[in-house]
Order: sequence, then C-alpha cells, then structure tokens
Amino acid sequence: MLALLKRHREPLLVLVLLAYPLLQLLGTGARVREPNLIDRILLGATAPLQRLLVAGIDGAAGAWERYVSLRRVERENRALRGEVQALRAEVGGMAEARQENERLRRLLNYPDVGTGPRVVARVVGISPDANRLTVRIDRGEADGVRRNMPVVTTDGVVGQVLRVTGSGADVLLLVDPNSRLGVRVQRTRARAGAAGTGDDRLLRLDYLLRAEDLEEGDAVVTSGTDGIYPPGLMVGRATRVQRQGSGMFLGAMLLPSVDFSRLEEVLVLSPPASSGGMAPRAAPVSTRVEGPR
Amino acid sequence: MTRVALAAALALALLAVESVLVKYLGLTLARIDVTVAIVAFLALRSGLLEGACGSFAVGYLLDLMSGRPTGLYTFLAVLTFLLGRIGASLVEVRGAAGFALFAMAADAVHGLLALGVTWLTSKTWGMGALSPAGLPLEVLLTGTAAFCLYPLLQKFGPVAERPEPGLIGLPR
Repeated sequence: MLALLKRHREPLLVLVLLAYPLLQLLGTGARVREPNLIDRILLGATAPLQRLLVAGIDGAAGAWERYVSLRRVERENRALRGEVQALRAEVGGMAEARQENERLRRLLNYPDVGTGPRVVARVVGISPDANRLTVRIDRGEADGVRRNMPVVTTDGVVGQVLRVTGSGADVLLLVDPNSRLGVRVQRTRARAGAAGTGDDRLLRLDYLLRAEDLEEGDAVVTSGTDGIYPPGLMVGRATRVQRQGSGMFLGAMLLPSVDFSRLEEVLVLSPPASSGGMAPRAAPVSTRVEGPR
Repeated sequence: MTRVALAAALALALLAVESVLVKYLGLTLARIDVTVAIVAFLALRSGLLEGACGSFAVGYLLDLMSGRPTGLYTFLAVLTFLLGRIGASLVEVRGAAGFALFAMAADAVHGLLALGVTWLTSKTWGMGALSPAGLPLEVLLTGTAAFCLYPLLQKFGPVAERPEPGLIGLPR
C-alpha cells in the first residue's frame, strides 16, 4: 500500500490539490470564509503595489488633466487676446467716430452766416506743391460748391475755394502767400487786411493805421468787406505788434485760429449776400494765380 | 518549486495590477483572466506536480483577490491545468500567437466551468455574477494578455519538453 502510494505520489498529490478546494467549495457553498493568516499576508503584500499603481495612474491622469487644462486655458487666452485686440480696435474706431461726430455736429451748428446752403466736406488731400498751400475736399460742383466760396471750421476761417471739379474742390488756405482778406480787430472794430505768409502758423496783418489800438492777443475777425468771407468769422489773434516811428501803418502778425495741419472736416459757406451783385472790394488773390506756376 | 513561487508571485502582481486597471477601466462584465494565462503556460511548460501546485497557488490567489474565497477558482485552476495538459498533448503550441490561442481556449473552458460549477453548487447565487454575456470579450482580452505576457513567461525557464511523459504523469 505504501509502495503504491509512493509510486503514484504525484497523481495523488494532484488529486488532493484538486479535491481540497472542491470539498471546500461544496462544504461552504456561497459562504465566504474569513481570511486566515496567509490570506492576510498575501493581501498585505498586494496593497503597496496597488497603492503605487493607483498613485501612478492618478498622478499621470492629474498631470494629463492639468496639461489639457493648460492647453485649454492657453487657447482661451489666445482667443481672448484676439477678442481684446478686436474690441480695442472697435473702441478706438468708436472713439474716432464719436470725435468725428462731434466735429460734424459743431459744424452743423455753425452760426448763420452766408445766405446759401452749407456743405460739409471732408479734407481728402493736401497739395503736393509746397509753394501752394491748398487742401482738397470731397465736395464739388455736384454738391453746390462753387469757386471763391469761403471755407471755415468751428475754429475760424480756413480759406476759399480755388478750383472746383464735379466731385471735389481745392481750397486755398489763408496762410498761402496769395491769400488776402479783409479783417477787423474785434475789440476796437478797426479795419485792416490779412495776408498769408507761406507759414501755416502765421498771417500778416496789413493796413492797420499806426494810430489804431492793437494789443497782443487781440482777436481779429473777418470784416466782410472783401465780398468773399461773411463778417465776424474768427481769423486769428494779434502777435508781434510793432509800432514804428514813421509810416502810416503798424506792423503786426496774426496767429491763425485754425490749425491747418489738423484739418479734417470743413464747412463750405455761401458767399455773403451782398457779394452777389457787387464786385468784391478785396478780390481773392487766387484769381490772379490760376494756372501752373 | 521555483517556478511555482514565480508563478504565484507573477499572478499576485498581475492580479494587483488588474484590480487597479479594472477600477479605472470599469470592466464590470468582462475581466482579463491573467491567472488562466499563467495556468495555461504551466500546462504547456511544467511538470504535473509543479504545474498543479502552481495552478493551485494561482487559483488560490484568484479566489483571494476575488473577494469571495470559496475555493471555486482554486479548484478550477487545477482542473483547467489538467485539461490544459490534455489539450497540449493534442495540439502543438508554438510562439506567442499559438500561446494566445491556447490561453483563449483555456479561458473559455475555465469560464464555462465556472458557470457550470457555480450553477451546480449554489442555487442561491445569482447567475448575473457569472453571466456568460461577457465571456467572449473576456476570452479575447485574456488572449491579448497572454500574447503580451508570453515573453515574460518564457523567462520562467528554458523552453523544454515536459519532464515526464503522459497526461497526468503516469508512465506510458
């Protein structure tokens, strides 16, 4: 018997290995046995590995989520930057439009001068000829603009229309050396003439009698005697007043009230009613300078 | 018995990994029977007693890790090992792909046996816990795992013929 057992030791051991769990299964059924010492040791051995794996997976998942989150934030950031730029441009455009609107409103509220319709025009160009201080406006014959019409802004006189085409016109600026107009010292009502000097920041005051009262900073307005400009339009302020010992007239300059370097919108006025049938007493010099030089 | 200890250690590590993976992947119906892959390898490469002991250890661990240590998986592991030995004597298994197919067959048998034995031994157990619905996917996953594990399992020892002839160790 012992020899038989020794001879079939392996199959018998295998049979035991097979039968033991089967008997346990049949004996306990669905009942779960309590963990013994070996179970506890084995379960304890797997715990660190499981914890390590969970920590590794959680760490990787967290890193991935943070990466994805960062990418999303970066995308959002880029989009928001673009949006901010677009909004800034829009706000800038709106500010520009608001300023333009304000300027146009002021032009439309210009005091009643002249008799005909007013034409609001935009300055679209400046003469490329440095010797002729003119600007180009986007209104012409089709809009009722005619030659010699006065051009103003809310700050004062700009000049007069020199040449007109169908859709545009050239405006001779006051500061052009060929410009002349009749003026009056606002405080004393003394009459004089003003002429351009070729410098866009300076006018020359002519024909003011030496006996007249003129002080630095005195406002000078149009007199309306030239038949071009309506009376009362601001021209500039007196500066460099010189009373010489001899001669009929005193020497003085005017600081133009209009900044000619920043012209954007202008108002083209109709000539004074009186000029319609009368020859201008101070004829615009522009009529004498037609044609290319 | 080194191979038994190695098989048990590997099974323990793989079961720990699987338990974590299942936690994240949520394979509630289909599991990866890594232990069956080890049992299949033992059926192919180890002797009767060594393989039976290894299968017993692996089945014991599976029972333990399943949370319901009733002895079912221990019994099934040894039984699958013995059936695997019979199967291995009928077919020639070579390479990772062949091993994967062999492990898949072993897993199918293991799964069906689990269902059958469970049904026989307990009328109170819900069949839902061992529903055959997930078996095809389980077999497929186990085959994939076996294919991946094959290089590692080969390191258990030199690929050699079984030390003793016969299906259950009896001399021919």
